[in-house]
Amino acid sequence: MSEEILRALMQLFAIITKQDDGASEDEREFVELFLRQQLSSEVVKDYLALYDKFLAGDEEKPVEKPAEETAKKKLTNVKDSVRTLSICKKINKTLTQKQKVIVLIRLYELISSSEGQTPQRMQIIDTVATVFNIGQDEYKLIEKFCLSQSPSRDLDFADVLLVISGREQPQYQFAKYIISEGLYGDMAIVHIKSVDMFFMRYIGHSEILLNGFPIQSSQINLFASGSTIKLPIGDPIYYSDIITRFLEDSDIQKLSFNVENLEYKFPNGKVGLVNVNISEGAGRLVGLMGGSGAGKTTLLNVLAGLEKPSGGKVLVNGVNLHSESEKVEGVIGYVAQDDILFEELSVFQNLYYNAKLCLGNLSEEDLVKEVDHMLKSLGLFEIKDIKVGNVLNKKISGGQRKRLNIALELIREPSILFLDEPTSGLSSRDSENVIDLLKELSLKGKLIFVVIHQPSSDIYKMFDKMIILDVGGYQIYYGNPVEAVMYFKRITNQINSDIGQCHTCGNVNPELIFNTIDAKVVDEYGNLTEKRKNTPQKWREYFLGNQKIERTEDILEEPPRSLFIPAKLKQLGVFITRDFLSKISNTQYLLVNLLEAPVLALVLAFIIRYVDNPAKDTYHFGNNENVPAYMFMCIIVAIFMGLTVSAEEIIRDAKILKRESFLNLSRFSYLTSKVALLFFLSAIQTFLFVVIGNAVLEIHGMTMSYWLLLFSCSCCANLIGLNISNTFNSAVTIYVLIPILLIPQMILSGAIFSFDKLNKAIGNVEKVPIIADVMTSRWAYEALAVKQFKDNKYEKLFYELDRNESVCDFKQVYWYPHMHDKVDQVRELLDKKDEESKARLAEDLLILKNEIKKVITDETIKTKIHFDVNAISDKWKAADFEQVQLYLDTIKTEYANRFAESNTFKDNKINNALKTPETAALFNETKKGNYNESLSDLVRKFDNKNRIMEYHGHLLQIFDPIFLEPHLEGRMALDYRTHLYSPKKPLFGKLFDTFTFNICVIWIMTIGFFITLYTSFLRKMLEFNFSFKPFSTKKTQANENQ
Amino acid sequence: MEIINLEGTEDTPRVLFDPSKNIFEVSGRSLPEDCAQFYGPLLKWLDGYVAAPNPNTIFEVKLEYFNTASSKMILDVLSKMETLKEAGKQVTIHWYSHDDDEDMQEAGEEFAELVEVPFEYKVY
Repeated sequence: MSEEILRALMQLFAIITKQDDGASEDEREFVELFLRQQLSSEVVKDYLALYDKFLAGDEEKPVEKPAEETAKKKLTNVKDSVRTLSICKKINKTLTQKQKVIVLIRLYELISSSEGQTPQRMQIIDTVATVFNIGQDEYKLIEKFCLSQSPSRDLDFADVLLVISGREQPQYQFAKYIISEGLYGDMAIVHIKSVDMFFMRYIGHSEILLNGFPIQSSQINLFASGSTIKLPIGDPIYYSDIITRFLEDSDIQKLSFNVENLEYKFPNGKVGLVNVNISEGAGRLVGLMGGSGAGKTTLLNVLAGLEKPSGGKVLVNGVNLHSESEKVEGVIGYVAQDDILFEELSVFQNLYYNAKLCLGNLSEEDLVKEVDHMLKSLGLFEIKDIKVGNVLNKKISGGQRKRLNIALELIREPSILFLDEPTSGLSSRDSENVIDLLKELSLKGKLIFVVIHQPSSDIYKMFDKMIILDVGGYQIYYGNPVEAVMYFKRITNQINSDIGQCHTCGNVNPELIFNTIDAKVVDEYGNLTEKRKNTPQKWREYFLGNQKIERTEDILEEPPRSLFIPAKLKQLGVFITRDFLSKISNTQYLLVNLLEAPVLALVLAFIIRYVDNPAKDTYHFGNNENVPAYMFMCIIVAIFMGLTVSAEEIIRDAKILKRESFLNLSRFSYLTSKVALLFFLSAIQTFLFVVIGNAVLEIHGMTMSYWLLLFSCSCCANLIGLNISNTFNSAVTIYVLIPILLIPQMILSGAIFSFDKLNKAIGNVEKVPIIADVMTSRWAYEALAVKQFKDNKYEKLFYELDRNESVCDFKQVYWYPHMHDKVDQVRELLDKKDEESKARLAEDLLILKNEIKKVITDETIKTKIHFDVNAISDKWKAADFEQVQLYLDTIKTEYANRFAESNTFKDNKINNALKTPETAALFNETKKGNYNESLSDLVRKFDNKNRIMEYHGHLLQIFDPIFLEPHLEGRMALDYRTHLYSPKKPLFGKLFDTFTFNICVIWIMTIGFFITLYTSFLRKMLEFNFSFKPFSTKKTQANENQ
Repeated sequence: MEIINLEGTEDTPRVLFDPSKNIFEVSGRSLPEDCAQFYGPLLKWLDGYVAAPNPNTIFEVKLEYFNTASSKMILDVLSKMETLKEAGKQVTIHWYSHDDDEDMQEAGEEFAELVEVPFEYKVY
C-alpha cells in the first residue's frame, strides 16, 4: 500500500468516524490495529496522528453550522461528502478490485467495533461502495456479513457458508452449512463472487485457528486460497472443501477419477510407480511434486492414459482409462512441457486450426466465436494477430506462450486436464498467471493435475491437493498442501509442527518438505553423508500408517465428450491450410526456396554456355560440349532441393505430431498434407529452374519434358527427405545424412562414372548394375539423355533411319567378321583334345548358337535361307561348316542391303533439305540448335575403342547404345534390365519408351517411399537394430543406476 | 426536448432543465431517501441532452445542502457535463454558495478537481 493511499484511508476513516457523535475509543483502537498490520510501530504513530488531525481539523466546522439544522437532523458536512468522493476516486486509480473489497470490509469493521452504525456513516460507506463499483447486492451482503451479531440467524444467503454447532436442526433456505460438534458460537464464510474472494468471521469463544494462528472473535479474516481452519473438535476445514461446497450448486459436470493401486514398470524393467492411489472429483486442482527422478512425469503420463500401467487401474467415471479408452475419448486433455505452437502462425491461427481439428462439430462462425472467446478469457485477445515466434526470437512472452499452449487443449473443454510443469521457465508473475488460470478452471468444475517444480508460496497454496512422490515412484503424501508441511515436520519431530505457514506473511515454504524428505544422516564428524535419514520405503510406510484416502464414489454417467474429430479429408484440408499459411508467412523461407532454383539455374547455365569457336560469338546449342553435364547437374539440383526442403518437415513437427496422435488425428492426412505442399513447392522450384536454365542454354522444345522429369526427381527426393525426417531424432543427424544420400546418387547416376568401368563386384558391361537401379538419378539421367537425343527437332527426323543404319552397320562390320572368325576357330578346335581347347570350343559354340538365335527370327532372312540352330554342335562335319558360313554370308548381304537402303533414304532426305540455300540454312540451323554433338558422342559411345565384345556367351555391341533396342526373346516378364541409354525398355514382353518408363519408375519409387513413410518402416528398422545391441542396453542400465 | 421542472421539497432540490432557454439549474436541499431514484431520471435526461446539446451550456448549482449519497449523484451529473466538454462544446459550472458557507464553496472546489470542467464560484 502506498503512502498516498494510506493517507487517503486515514482521511476516509476520519470522515466516517467523526460523523454524529465522533470517534469512539474503540474506533480509534481499530484504526491503530489496522495501521499496525500494515506498518512498523514508529510509522504507526505518524499515521495515527494524521488520523487524529483529520478528525480534529474539521471538528470545529460543524459548530459553524446553523444551530437549528444540527438540532433537527445530524447531517454530513457537504465538504466531507465531496472529499469522500475524491478519496474514493483516488483509490479507484491505484487499487485492484480485490483490494477495494478489502478496504470496504475494513470500513464496515471500523463501524462495527462500536455501536456506531448511524445512517450518516452507513450512507458514506454505501457511497464508497458505489464509487468502488461494487454491486449493490454484493455490498449489502458484505455489510450484513460484517455487521451481523448472529450470523447463523441473519445470513441465510446463497453465497454464505455457515459452520454451526448443530444443536438444532438447521433450516436454511439458501445458505450452505457444515455442522461441527463442540463449536461455540457462529462462524460464517462469505464468497464475494465478483472478485472471487472468501472472508471468514467467527463470533464466539472457542479457540479457532486460521492457518495455525488463533483468530479473534468477530474479526473479519481473509480466507485466502490454501487456508485451513482448525476447529476445537473434528476435522479441519480446508479451503478446497469450501470451494467444493460453493461449487456444488453450480451445474457442473459430475466427475469421478479413481486411481487404484497403480503400478508402472519401464520397458527395461525398472520400477516407475509403486502402488499409487488417488481419488478426486470435479473442481480440484491437484499438484504433483517430487524430487527429480521421483516419477512425476511418469505418473502424469500414466494418469493421462499415454502410458499403460503394469498394474492397477485408472477409472474415469468408472470407465477404465487404459482398457476402454474409446469410451472416454476426448475427456482428457494433456499439455506437455514443450511448446506445440506453430512459430510462423499468429496466436489466433494457432488456436483456430487446432480447434478446427478438435471441434469438427462446430460451424465456421461458431468456431471463430469460440476461439475469440477463449483468447479473451486468457487475456490473449490483444495479441491475437501477432506471430508466435520461437523461444529465441520472442514475439510474445513466455507466459503468453504457455497460456496459448494450454488454450489449445482448453478450447475443447476436456473435463480432466493434465499439465506437465506449466510454469517451468516462466517468470514468477507469469507462473502465477498460469496457475491462476488453472485455479479458475478448476473452480468451473475441471479436474486438473499439474506437475509442479519449486512453486512459490502463493502458487503452492492455490492447490487443493498435493501428491508427493519420492524416488522410485513411492507415493509418500496425498492431501492438503499446507498440511503437508506440518505432516513432514510432525513425523520428524520438528518444532512448530502445527504451523504450516508464516503468521505475518502467510507464506508456506514447500522447500521445507523436500529438505525433510531428503534429510541426510550426519556422521560423527558432523559431515553430511550420502545416506538419507528416511528411505522412500520408510516414508511410504509412514504414509500408509497415517493417511487414508477417502474414495470418491464412482459416477456412472458417461463422462462428457469434448472431442469431435473431423473426417480425414477435412483434416487434410486443415493440415494443408495450416502448413501453407505457416510457410508463406515465413518470408525468409519463402524467399530462399523460390529464389534458390532460378539463381542456381542462372549461375549454372551462364557458366557453361560455351562457344566452341573462339573467333565467333554465336552460341549454338549443338556445339556446347557441356550439355551432358548440364543435364546431370539439373538432376542433382532437383534431388538436392527436394531433399533439403523436406528433410526437416516432420522432425520440426515432432511435438505437434505427438499431441495430434494423442488426439487420434489421422496420420495419413497429416502426411498427405506434407506431401501435397512439398510437391507443390517442388513443382514451382523445378519449373523456375528449367525455364531459366533451358532458356539460357537455348534448349528448344524440351521444357515440359525437362520439367516433368525434374519435378519427378524432386518429388522422389521429397519423400526420401520425409522418410529420414521421420526416422531420426535430430535435425543435425538429418543434415549430416543428406550427403550420404546425395553422393551415391551422383556416383551411380551413370553420368560421372561409366557403368561398364566400375568395380567388378558391382559393375557390369552388359547392363546397368542393380545397385544403380535404386538411384533416382540414374533413371532420371538416362531418361533425359535419351529424350534429348531422340526427340529433339533434328534427330526426330532421322532417328529411325539412324537406328537402322546402326543395326546394319554392327551386323556387317563387326558381327559378321567376328562370327566368321568364330566358325574358323571352332573348325580348328574340333580336332584338339586338351581340356583348355575343349572349354574354349564349348564357349565358342555357345556364342555361335546364341548369336544365330538372335537373327533367326528375322522374317526376311527366314524366307531366304533355312538354318537349324540345334545343329550347332561339337560334332560338326565339313558340310556343316559350309552351311553356317553360307548362312552368315546371307545375313551379311541382307544387312548390307538394308544399310544401303537406309543410307540412300537418309541422303535423299538430306539432299532434299539442302536443295535451296534457304532450306539448307534452315536445316543447318535446326541441326546446330537441336542436335548436340557431345550428347551424341555420349549416347553413341564414340570414344569407346572396343566395338564388340564377348560376354557370357553373347556378342555385345559396345557402341551406339542409343540405337540398340533390348531383345525380348527369352526375357522374363519382370526383367526390365538393359544397358544404359537404351531407347526402349522391356517389361511384360513389351517395349516402352524409355522416357516414360523411367519417369514411371521414379514415381513407383516415390509411392514406395510414401508407404515406408506411412508405416515408419525405417524407424522401426532402426529401433529393431538398436534393441538387439547387447552393449547398448547395458550402458543405459548403468546410466540409470547412477 | 421536454423540459424538466421539479419543485423543491424539504429533502429534494428544485430542478429546472430547459434547453430551449438554455437554463440548467439545481437548487435547494438534496437529501432524498433514495438518491438513485431521484437522480436516475435526471441522469437519463442528461444523456439525451448530451446527444443533442446547446453550443454553450451553463450549469447552475445553488444548493444549500446535499448529503453524501447526493454528492455521488452530483458528481455523475457533472461527469455528463465533462462528456459534453470532451465533445467540444462550451460548458461552465456556476457554483453558488452563501457568503458564510465556506464548506459549500470548498465542496465546489473539490468537485472542480474531480471533473475537467471550468467552475465559476458565485456568492448569493
